[in-house]
Amino acid sequence: MTKKRERLDVIRDVLQAVRESRGIKPTRLLYASNLSPQMFKEYVDELVSKGFLAMKIDEKEKKTIVLTKKGNEFLEEYKVIENFIDNFGL
Amino acid sequence: MYLYNFLFENRNALKLLYTIIICIICFLIVAKTHKLFKLSFHQGIRYFRNSFLFYGLAFLTRYLLVSLYDVEKFNISALDYSYVVKFIFDFFLIMAGFFLLYSLLWRRFEGEEGSRSSLFNSKIFIFYILSAIIAMLDIIWTTSYFMFLSQVIVFSFAAGICFEKYEESKKEGKASKFLNLYLMVIVLNFLLWMTNFVVSTSFDFVIASGFDWRRAGVIISYGLQIIIFSLFLYSILKSTKKA
Repeated sequence: MTKKRERLDVIRDVLQAVRESRGIKPTRLLYASNLSPQMFKEYVDELVSKGFLAMKIDEKEKKTIVLTKKGNEFLEEYKVIENFIDNFGL
Repeated sequence: MYLYNFLFENRNALKLLYTIIICIICFLIVAKTHKLFKLSFHQGIRYFRNSFLFYGLAFLTRYLLVSLYDVEKFNISALDYSYVVKFIFDFFLIMAGFFLLYSLLWRRFEGEEGSRSSLFNSKIFIFYILSAIIAMLDIIWTTSYFMFLSQVIVFSFAAGICFEKYEESKKEGKASKFLNLYLMVIVLNFLLWMTNFVVSTSFDFVIASGFDWRRAGVIISYGLQIIIFSLFLYSILKSTKKA
């Protein structure tokens, strides 16, 4: 059985998907993140409110999700954070 | 014996040096872990950070309060003042131990989203009450048994949990040398508090033998504490170093 993804892994996957596409439509990100619509909304709302992602709306009212500097920093530090949690049994 | 006398004669300067070292280590650990928490919002990192915040506060406030005391300016006797200082120091130190233990246990009590505040929530409030009760018991009985005993219990649990996590990660084939080191530091902490507890209960033995074992025990425990905090810092700096 596959191990349930931890919250931190989900965040990494979402941010990674946004980084790889350099801006992504919410529906595409929902498929890429492999989350239920409800969970997806919760995660994206949280990541936007905490400044990891930003929502851009163009003149046609279409939404695009982009990675912020903080989101990029998280991805850069992800390995360090993961190691830290493992090393101290947190 | 020469070293012992030297340490005892220079105890005030050494106490200052000891406080500075511990406070700098705690400050570095809090700064490093706060940065990781702000990026990850991981509750375990948050409680781990709080632990060193309280360790730092304990040593800093004790030193400052003792240094600031002026018998002529303060409207409180030296004895009463020492009780106040001891209560504050014990309270912060016990809280730090609880936070360290809770950083290993938090998943069993709360969700990954955690609480809004890691300093003021219902679970942590229990720790505040327990810490205040333990610190107060020590004041009432004019001893440190309760604080030492609480730390012996906290670190024996922490060592058990750490060992369990180490065994689990070994089975999964991802045991890092730092988890091993962390386990060692926790066991050293347990030994430190055990030493403190034994030293504080060996008063009669001191009188009988002629040699002041209590004083020697205090010097050993100061040395051990610096080693333990340095090991904490070393493992944190090493494990947060980018590959």
